[in-house]
Amino acid sequence: MRRTAALFLALVLTLAWAGQVQAKDIVLGVPLPLTGAQAKFGEIIKKSYEIAQEEINAKGGVKGDKLVLKFEDSQGKPEIARSIVEKLIDVDKQPVIFAEYTSACAKAVAAVAEERKTPYLVVASAADEITQQNYKYVFRLNPSNAYYASGLLGFMAGVVKPKSIAILYESSDFGTSGAEEMAKSAEKAGMKVLLKEKYEKGAVDFKPILSKVKAARPDVIYMVSYVMDAALLMRQIKELRVDAGLFAGGAAGFAIPEFVDNAKDAAEYVVTATLWSPQVPFAGAKEYFETYKAKYGSEPSYHGALAYSSLYVIADALSRAKSMKQDDIRDALKATDMTTAFGPVKFLDKDGYQNQNFMETLVLQVIGGKHQTIWPEKYASAKYVFPIPKWRDRK
Amino acid sequence: MWVQLEVFLQTLISGVLLGGLYALIGLGMTLILGVMKIINLTHGQLMMVAMYVAYWLFTLFHIDPYVSLLIAPPLLFLLGMFLQKTLINPVLRVESILPHNQVILTVGIGMVLQNMATIFFTSDYKSTPVDYATDAWYLSDYWKDAPFELSLSYPWTVSFLLAVGITTALWFFLAKTDTGKSIRATAQDRDAAALMGVNVGLMRVITFGLGSALVAAAGCLFIPIYYLFPALGSQFTLIAFVITILGGLGSTMGAILGGLILGIFESMTATYVGMGWAPVGRFAIFVAALVFLPGGVASLLKRKAVTK
Amino acid sequence: MKRSAPLIVLAGMAALPFLGLSSYVMHLLILVIMWSVSGMAWNLLGGYTGQVSFGHAAFFGLGAYCAGLASFHLNISAWYGFPLSIPFVAATALVMGLIVLRLRGPYFVLATLALGEIMRITAENLTDLTQGNLGIMIQRTWVEKTGYYYVILAVAALTFWVVKLLAESRWGYYFVAIREDQDAAESLGINTTLYKTVALTVSAVITGFSGAFYMNYMGYIDPQVVFSLGDISILTIMVVMVGGVATYWGPVVGAVIMVLLAEVIRSLPYVGTAYQTLFGVLLIVIIIYLPNGLVGDRQTLARLFKKKGAAV
Repeated sequence: MRRTAALFLALVLTLAWAGQVQAKDIVLGVPLPLTGAQAKFGEIIKKSYEIAQEEINAKGGVKGDKLVLKFEDSQGKPEIARSIVEKLIDVDKQPVIFAEYTSACAKAVAAVAEERKTPYLVVASAADEITQQNYKYVFRLNPSNAYYASGLLGFMAGVVKPKSIAILYESSDFGTSGAEEMAKSAEKAGMKVLLKEKYEKGAVDFKPILSKVKAARPDVIYMVSYVMDAALLMRQIKELRVDAGLFAGGAAGFAIPEFVDNAKDAAEYVVTATLWSPQVPFAGAKEYFETYKAKYGSEPSYHGALAYSSLYVIADALSRAKSMKQDDIRDALKATDMTTAFGPVKFLDKDGYQNQNFMETLVLQVIGGKHQTIWPEKYASAKYVFPIPKWRDRK
Repeated sequence: MWVQLEVFLQTLISGVLLGGLYALIGLGMTLILGVMKIINLTHGQLMMVAMYVAYWLFTLFHIDPYVSLLIAPPLLFLLGMFLQKTLINPVLRVESILPHNQVILTVGIGMVLQNMATIFFTSDYKSTPVDYATDAWYLSDYWKDAPFELSLSYPWTVSFLLAVGITTALWFFLAKTDTGKSIRATAQDRDAAALMGVNVGLMRVITFGLGSALVAAAGCLFIPIYYLFPALGSQFTLIAFVITILGGLGSTMGAILGGLILGIFESMTATYVGMGWAPVGRFAIFVAALVFLPGGVASLLKRKAVTK
Repeated sequence: MKRSAPLIVLAGMAALPFLGLSSYVMHLLILVIMWSVSGMAWNLLGGYTGQVSFGHAAFFGLGAYCAGLASFHLNISAWYGFPLSIPFVAATALVMGLIVLRLRGPYFVLATLALGEIMRITAENLTDLTQGNLGIMIQRTWVEKTGYYYVILAVAALTFWVVKLLAESRWGYYFVAIREDQDAAESLGINTTLYKTVALTVSAVITGFSGAFYMNYMGYIDPQVVFSLGDISILTIMVVMVGGVATYWGPVVGAVIMVLLAEVIRSLPYVGTAYQTLFGVLLIVIIIYLPNGLVGDRQTLARLFKKKGAAV
């Protein structure tokens, strides 16, 4: 009994201590999927926020106040993400919300933020609708899914000139809209869509579908997949010797370093759309990449760069805002005009989007076991390899 | 024409290889469900634990995942016995309105295992990049003028053969050894077995351990061709259920056939209907088996044996 | 006194919004009530009739989609999802009943589980109808939570009343008879299939209401959210099992635990991602020591506390 009492006391003390944050700190709660199937991305984003937080605080914080981030796990469930945000707005009186990763959660959070008139900066959620709802308080740093492959389309039009395409995609929100957009753009560009097939995430064996792709002989195989499906797809493509003019990935799984680690030699020459690479010529990009690598021993993906830059956007808006009131912060965010490690940031209303940041997207190619930026050529860190050798002729 | 044949044959090969691995996942489940009538919703999580064992053995000591077949299953055997003895048995013993408490218990265990894995190993996607991961045998290497090309993946084939070997060994164990016979007796009629002097309690503990060890073996065979992260378990739990019902509760032969049927069926659906529908096919034959063939494939085998 | 307990609780709950609760607390309360409704509905089939369904997400999701598609395709308010869902959910329940109700024990459990998954994957693949995994997003009716609160409270009150009415009627005895010994019930001349179908259909329709409410309240659904095995089907069962099987108040207590306590544990500082372990352990402990749930085993619970009290 006494032990229970002691335990209880300890619990109360921790709670009390946790509640007593220094008055000068700006405490910001951050909802992220830290457990469950999406946790991987939640973690990259969390780590990147932490780097940005340290840097911003080292430079004097926001008007001399320190930023303190408090991460909360949403498990990737919209219900819980909403609980967290309702709490942040209502109980903690937090004037600005950011983060959350999956589009389902971001949609739930965005609706709440709009209703409660609290600015919300979306990080890395790609679903187009989020910034098409006439929301006044929802901002998005990353281009929406419809724009992810714009760079890749440029590369195809300029170099590959394909006549046909096969599209494989994961049946998620991200995969579906990515595939739809690509099918539309491909048809507009005069390509024939030979195949458009989806699969459930976690699939083990792609060989049946791949042998069908092989029989269709497309010029380009375009795949929208999360992490390991991407590696599995390429491994099995190599195994079946499915030859195509170009193997292209639609960001996400293909653009993160684990893809190369796991697909190994099967990853060679694969190109992928991406939003960011450490080779972009924006101040801080390289430094962020190196810091992340030194600190955590792994390489960050564009999701991390987005998170890192988004905290700078938040800090910038907070320091320009007339007060810590929601509307003032919203106005400050709307007036954002800065260059981050992710590129120039401006929230525009155009093409049916509101408060959306538009930007050029890049193309990476795996050359010599490393992701290299190959397109647009002004950002290229290496010359693209095209045409690519057939599987049989590779060593 | 040749192209269509190539697609068909390649799909068939994929289906058979996949089916062999599925069978091994289903085997552990069919034992546990057949002997103890326990719906084990933590089956996939146990596989995940075993895969982490194999992963760390590979990363730290460069032990090939196929060699960890000798290490991970015994460890999981112990873990399974421990879970059964300390958690599941007490729940089975108490009187409750619904006998399904144990299902929720296994959900709880799965939650803890999965969360522990996230804490200790982070949610990073891991795999064991073995050198032979993408190697394969090609028809054209052996038959120069082959009108079509077929390939047979190296790791998939090895995994398949090992799965068949393990299954055969299990069949011998159940059919020929005393312990095996006692387990089967417990499955058929617990009270009668107890009256015959079978230590039913011990058999149940052993069965759960054995079931865990089998799914651990499946994990070791999966990791060279698949990948690993903490939330990977649940989808394999579902597959295991399908195979168990398809094959017939507690039947080794049934699990093998069930696995093969499912593997081939899924591959064919993926090729000829659409990969997005493959999981629907999986559950549709599951329900069909439940309704039209409640004893699973095993009951067909038996019927044949009787008429013979 | 005992008879009026539900009315008192209802009056108390109805008065809660006047306390000026924060929108966060209201959100949690709404979730608690929503899960109570799902739990009570499940309890009718699982608790009283003994048919443990692992596929209630099928009905939840169907209800949610009826509401969402009404708004999306027909351009009418998603609130029409409530009446619209009744025929669809009932029809699905009848078809499902034809398949699963002849099965028993683990077979029944697995069949319902499979049907739930089939519904999810079908919804994911019928992209013309459901938009697949792009999901359905609608404009919510109210900004304030009070409206939603009263709607779901009314649904909960209705559900409570229906369950109580059924459980205390002659049918309720048939249900329990089926649970205790189906063959004996059959031999006594009870048409077990009929009563099981009744329990399933009522349970399904109410679960559908819960789903329709979810659509209206959350404003966004996709198949992986509302047809989820782990987050809907199994959570519903846990609500009942933890709270108390075949009791009136069990699902309510269970919902409080599964929503409120989960939220409290999640918000503990410095526990980080380990809170799921804590919660899992809590579940295991409850299942082992209180196999009939907190309400079902309240005597055991009372005894435990008394013993402790005596020791101090």
